[in-house]
Amino acid sequence: MTTTPTPPHSLRTAPEPDTVPDPPPGAPALHETDGHQPLRRDGDLLLTGRAQFVDDIAPRGLLHAAILRSPHPHAVIRGVDASRARAREEVEVVLTGADAVDLATPLPHFFEPSIVGCRTTEFRCLAVDRVRWVGEPVAAVVASSLAEAEAALADIVVDYEPLPAVLDADEALRDDAPVLFEEWGDNRLGLFPFAEGDAAGKIAAAPHVVRDELRVGRQHVAPMETRGYVAQWEPGGRLTLWASTQNPHPLRTNLATTLGVPEDRVRVVATRMGGGFGHKFNGYGEEPLVCLLSRLADAPVKWIETRKDCLLVGAREFTHRFEVGFDDDGVVLGLADRIVGNIGCLAPWGGWSMTFPAGMTFPGPYRIADYAIESVPVVTNKAPWNGFRGYGKEQAAMALERIMDLIAEHRGIDPAEVRRRNFIPPEAFPFWTAAKHLDSGEYAAALDKALALAGYDALRARQEAARAQGRHLGVGIGFELTPEGGDFAGSFVRGFDTSTVRVHPSGAVSVLTGVTSPGTGNETSIAHLVAREFGIAVEAVGVTQGDTDACPYGFGNFTSRSLATGGAAAVLAARELRERMADAASALLDADAAAFDFRDGAVVSRTDPETSLTFAELAETIYRRGLAAPGLDQPLLEVTRIDLPHNFHHVPDEQGRFSAYPSFPYSAHVALVEVDAETGVVELLEYSAIDDCGVVVSPTFVAGQLYGAIAQGIGGALWEEVPYGEDGAPEAETFKHYLTPRAPDLPTIRLQHQHTPSPFTLLGTKGAGESGVGGAMAALLNAVNDGLRPLGVHAHRVPLTPPVVLDAIVSGGAS
Amino acid sequence: MIRTRLRYHRPDRPDDAAALLAEHHGRVAVLAGGSQLLPRMNRGETDVDHVVDLRGLGLRGIERTGGRVRLGAMVTYEDAIASPLLADAVPLLPRVARGVTGGRQLTGHATLVGALCHAFPGTDMPGALSALGATVELHGPSGPRSVPVSEFLLGAQEIDRRAGEFVAAVTVDGVARSGYCKVKHATGSWPIATASAVDDGDALTVTLGAVQARPLRIVIPDPTRAAVDDAVAAAVTAPWTDVLAPGDYRARIAPVVARRALTELREGARA
Repeated sequence: MTTTPTPPHSLRTAPEPDTVPDPPPGAPALHETDGHQPLRRDGDLLLTGRAQFVDDIAPRGLLHAAILRSPHPHAVIRGVDASRARAREEVEVVLTGADAVDLATPLPHFFEPSIVGCRTTEFRCLAVDRVRWVGEPVAAVVASSLAEAEAALADIVVDYEPLPAVLDADEALRDDAPVLFEEWGDNRLGLFPFAEGDAAGKIAAAPHVVRDELRVGRQHVAPMETRGYVAQWEPGGRLTLWASTQNPHPLRTNLATTLGVPEDRVRVVATRMGGGFGHKFNGYGEEPLVCLLSRLADAPVKWIETRKDCLLVGAREFTHRFEVGFDDDGVVLGLADRIVGNIGCLAPWGGWSMTFPAGMTFPGPYRIADYAIESVPVVTNKAPWNGFRGYGKEQAAMALERIMDLIAEHRGIDPAEVRRRNFIPPEAFPFWTAAKHLDSGEYAAALDKALALAGYDALRARQEAARAQGRHLGVGIGFELTPEGGDFAGSFVRGFDTSTVRVHPSGAVSVLTGVTSPGTGNETSIAHLVAREFGIAVEAVGVTQGDTDACPYGFGNFTSRSLATGGAAAVLAARELRERMADAASALLDADAAAFDFRDGAVVSRTDPETSLTFAELAETIYRRGLAAPGLDQPLLEVTRIDLPHNFHHVPDEQGRFSAYPSFPYSAHVALVEVDAETGVVELLEYSAIDDCGVVVSPTFVAGQLYGAIAQGIGGALWEEVPYGEDGAPEAETFKHYLTPRAPDLPTIRLQHQHTPSPFTLLGTKGAGESGVGGAMAALLNAVNDGLRPLGVHAHRVPLTPPVVLDAIVSGGAS
Repeated sequence: MIRTRLRYHRPDRPDDAAALLAEHHGRVAVLAGGSQLLPRMNRGETDVDHVVDLRGLGLRGIERTGGRVRLGAMVTYEDAIASPLLADAVPLLPRVARGVTGGRQLTGHATLVGALCHAFPGTDMPGALSALGATVELHGPSGPRSVPVSEFLLGAQEIDRRAGEFVAAVTVDGVARSGYCKVKHATGSWPIATASAVDDGDALTVTLGAVQARPLRIVIPDPTRAAVDDAVAAAVTAPWTDVLAPGDYRARIAPVVARRALTELREGARA
């Protein structure tokens, strides 16, 4: 009889030792374990409800905006009569799409589709003559209170002529489908092919072939804090926009363009964020709209997204139709997947581009020489997508992991063993695929650790025992490769970033960086890295982010790059300053500059510990005596650096291969579920995961990211969906309709770590913000299907809501 | 954001409440816990100019009246969970209250009667109170009026409440033997199907909630699996569809929840 291992009660597990490249002399290890990590900055403010978010910004004389949105999925706007709304006493401004044409240029795209060979078109901040999705902004009202502004919306009369709409991507691809953008001729935005070798030939010749389909429903980020903007113009024509945004500098550039204001006269302040996940990438019409409204009202104006409006923004609605050929041992010989993404309507928000990594991430962690992946973004009359953590990479994880389990089922081999037989082996790195140059990986080791953590053999034994009692336990493995840090030249989605480090006379240090935090705590980690370079207390280092007047130009927060880019740039800047300060110490103390340690708040001679200055004394002396005292030749204690490019391959090699992503973390997941075969309800019983994001700076924050990503993946796998009605309107308007996991839905997540440093990044780190979403979705998908095996059916649709699962059971898996 | 200018009233006599409700009929809402009303007003789904708060009327009691138990309109889920009288005489109500989503932020102010009056199919209380043969005690301009819950619930979010009336209390049968089953998608989900099994000594019944627009009370003459399935299948004629589940799903699981509630009745609640 096999016994089940006791799950650990603590969520924290001790990380394993790192390999830390290039430690500065005298510096402590990159991260300190056993509770010596720096405490999260402002954690006390957050926990006690005193932290300020955008909705807390209230300049004197603030007015409030409300937005009228289209009730039609597709219609011509024949006219807008706003006279009654304008006549209301409390109303200051009413703006229609036609009014706004002369006040703002078309909106720059977050990611211009033509850069990657897609079709494109122009959008305005308010629809002018046509609406293409329910919820599209049509007019806006400013009033002295939000209640008055919302009430006035009812007095705006829009004359719509409804047009035929299309909501389904397959239908949108038909010749007779309504076309959203007539100049395109059809609804295809583009096509992303990723292929090597001869997939069709290898599949045709393979001894075994499996073909299947996987559908993923429309999902949504659901940040706790919705979007919001507060705009204020100064009499001299200077604009300040407080925004819950992930990209303050690109937003500033785009506002300058759209509003015709010199960029230096626009200040964007990215306020503290209650969750981003891609929902707060810039490109929304409301960004310039709120600025316009403020200018017209001659007063500060605030707009906060309602939950219903927030839920409009979509993601992840994909269909996979795949076939895979394999040999008797379960080794993949050829793989093809045609992926269609229902991106809703195109918009300047960049979410449609998730269809790129959805294909690019193939063939994931597996060594498959012959594959052909096509990812097709299709426009429909649903609301547009914006980014969603996972960014399409979770699609590859789900399809590939489903394929591994289908092969295992077909060949009667354990699913873990099928993966081991197909993994890229450790000695093969760096490893090229069509669109990735993989940095490093110990995939089988990570999977084996996850199996051990989960007590995999014991789980199988429990499953066997449960099946004998007619219960449907399912064990699912999910392995996820997560390309991170992407760099797309031509856009503001760049793979580098900029930081300034400034040492003040008192010895205090400021870091000003172009990367922002969505609430994950990267400011704490950046302070920790800089403090470590100077050997000073982390409390002596301040970090400023998100204020375009204060910070060097940067691209903000996306693709898990903040630490690898902004953090690395800050480290480089600090190292340069340390050299300047060591030179000064050497002149002042008459010692060799190279022989100083920066530690414990002092600059200490390595040969004679009595020869030292405190860090603050040295800084003040440089300010007071620089250029006057012999040897104090460089009194500028401020350095701005970018991190060095690492592992980008923009120019295709002779085989046409390129790599826009520099780092490739991965994670292995094991889930145990029980499927109630009478109701279709899935209960998640146990969950274990191993992650490997290279060198870790802050284990607590990395673990926090993983818990969140796994929870988000579980929600996406089991419950989260925005269905659309036949009227073309989304049916999820509150969190009673869009079901995200709550604490009782989640078991203790057992988490441990493996650390395979990136050979390419400055600190050996890999991105740590998205890993876990796809692995969790894949593990749950496989676990539920494993539970259904005795019933002889498969479930092919995510989320695996009880109706979907019961449908699969009742209809024999043909759903 | 509540878009209208609101007048808040807190009468301290039932007749004053009825007079206010009559005076502002069509532009007034009754406020008990507010857990449904206020979010609806914020979303612009309920649009009124007056709110009449019942808290000044002293309607928070749980008491025996003859062979029955009366619950005032302001009795919250927490009150029901904590009540020794309910634990003894009507254990179904605390059993159901413990399973209500929302945590203490909700259960401390949301009321059982409010949930009944909201009459949203995807809630626990209409089904549970129907199972207990509840009588709804209204108070209006012409005094009190009593209605059986089966007549009070007219349809989805439709109740028999006339101009000037509010529900002051419900009375239920004392039923010591009961079982409950609720199926829902996740913690945050509203009920997709509920079943209250009640054995009052005379008859064995299962009342399905959330399965149709109104609760379905089904007499179970024979508790065998096949008979229960047949009785439920015959009763479910117009299953409810909402954003979380289609009607055919509810029809499929209705016999299952019925059987599970009967099992709990027979074997007692699982720990």
